Amino acid sequence: MKRHILIVDDEANIRDLLSRFLGGAGYWVTAVASPAEALEAARREPPDLIISDLQLEDADGLEMIAKLKEALPDKPVILLTGVLFDQKAVNEVLKAKVTCYLEKTSTLAQILEAVQRLAPTSNV
Amino acid sequence: MQDRTIRRVVVFFFVIAAVLVGVAVQAVRNIGQSIASGDWVNHTHSVILETEAVRSALLVGEGALHTYVLTGDARDLGACREALSNVSENLDIAKALTRYEPAQNGQMIQIESLANQRADFFQGVMAARQAGNMETVRAMLSADAGGTAIRDIQRKIDNLKNDELALLTERDTASYLHAQTTRWTVWTGVVLDGLLLAGAVWLIRDDLAARRRANAALQQANDQLEAKVRARTGELGSANARLSTENLERQWANQALEHQLRYNHLIVDSINDLVLVLTKARNISRVNPAVVRLTGREPAELVNQPLSLIVRLAAARQGAEAPLRDPIAQALSDGRDLRDQAAVVEDKRGRQTPVRFSLFPLRDQDKVVGGVVTLQITPPKADATPENEPSG
Repeated sequence: MKRHILIVDDEANIRDLLSRFLGGAGYWVTAVASPAEALEAARREPPDLIISDLQLEDADGLEMIAKLKEALPDKPVILLTGVLFDQKAVNEVLKAKVTCYLEKTSTLAQILEAVQRLAPTSNV
Repeated sequence: MQDRTIRRVVVFFFVIAAVLVGVAVQAVRNIGQSIASGDWVNHTHSVILETEAVRSALLVGEGALHTYVLTGDARDLGACREALSNVSENLDIAKALTRYEPAQNGQMIQIESLANQRADFFQGVMAARQAGNMETVRAMLSADAGGTAIRDIQRKIDNLKNDELALLTERDTASYLHAQTTRWTVWTGVVLDGLLLAGAVWLIRDDLAARRRANAALQQANDQLEAKVRARTGELGSANARLSTENLERQWANQALEHQLRYNHLIVDSINDLVLVLTKARNISRVNPAVVRLTGREPAELVNQPLSLIVRLAAARQGAEAPLRDPIAQALSDGRDLRDQAAVVEDKRGRQTPVRFSLFPLRDQDKVVGGVVTLQITPPKADATPENEPSG
């Protein structure tokens, strides 16, 4: 059984690239653009891992993550954002809300490493 | 290899067939000779039987003649005549049997001559007895050297019989030799064919073994080829996967760069202060929308223009206290910041706005390649003085 990853990002090309890459790595990927779609997708098929952008079109990513965490408290969350935080901010603010913080300048290999660490699968 | 083996096998079978035909011909010929030998044996026995029958008939006739002379009985006369008739008949048969054998035929003619003389004597005696002339009969019988005549005939018959028995022995030997020859011919043919068949079998077996080896070698070559193809396919698959991953990585890096660039532009463009990017020659290379709003000049009018077109430091403007060298050029040359300097911005229509001027050198690998100027709109201070801060 493939592990399910929910990707939330308002940029279509990021959703497309991540879906192709993680799909090729053996994951079952659902990619949505908005928090509403994310909540619906998570309700319909609970993911094993959530990857979310910080700045979404109609909401703040951290708010959406908080809502998802209410329904799926044990599921790991990767915050993948182009907003560059300094390490202190990451340690003090984000660590309590997300499992892992990655900048969008990270390579796909680094993203896959984090994904495999948080949602290991025998197919990878 | 295949053709050569088939040719050899065909040659073998032709030779085997030829041997079989030779054996068959020889056997048929020998069988014919054996049959002929058998005929000769039968013929010889027939000749002996017929000559014995002549002897027997003569003796019977002799007996019947003497009985008839004594009794005068017609039955004895008939018996004598019958015996003479048998003698004649047996002689004819014996002559016919020996007609192709000159020696035996000659002997038969001699026997016939003697037998005829004896038969003539019988006829004479019988005629005299029938006439009742007993004196003549007595005289003929007295004059007859019957025993001598019969012994002559018997001796001739014995000679003929001995000759025929000698021939019989000779023909038996010939028949035996023919049978032996047939036996040897058949067995030699059988052994030769057996050897040839064994040779053909060995050839076929050898060919099959060679084919099996060739097939095994071919199979091994195919297996190796398939293994190489599988390995190569695997390598190509891995290379393809690697290329796909690299391609995705490149696309990801490009979009990340584009995203970051757009984000940075958004930040810069959102700043209410004026931001200008300078080349090291102090020409403008980029401005944010705040510059356009304050100067009324579009970016195209400003790019590649000197900074002095729109900005002048207060010290330079006052002139009397201006340093020997442009402080902006000096700061860029020294690679140090120039912060919070009094300056004015002049718009397209010549209106001047007092600002606080700051310059931050742009470094690329420890080399100053330009600078970033920020202008904060503030009311000008009457006693403002330029202030240089080392970059640390």
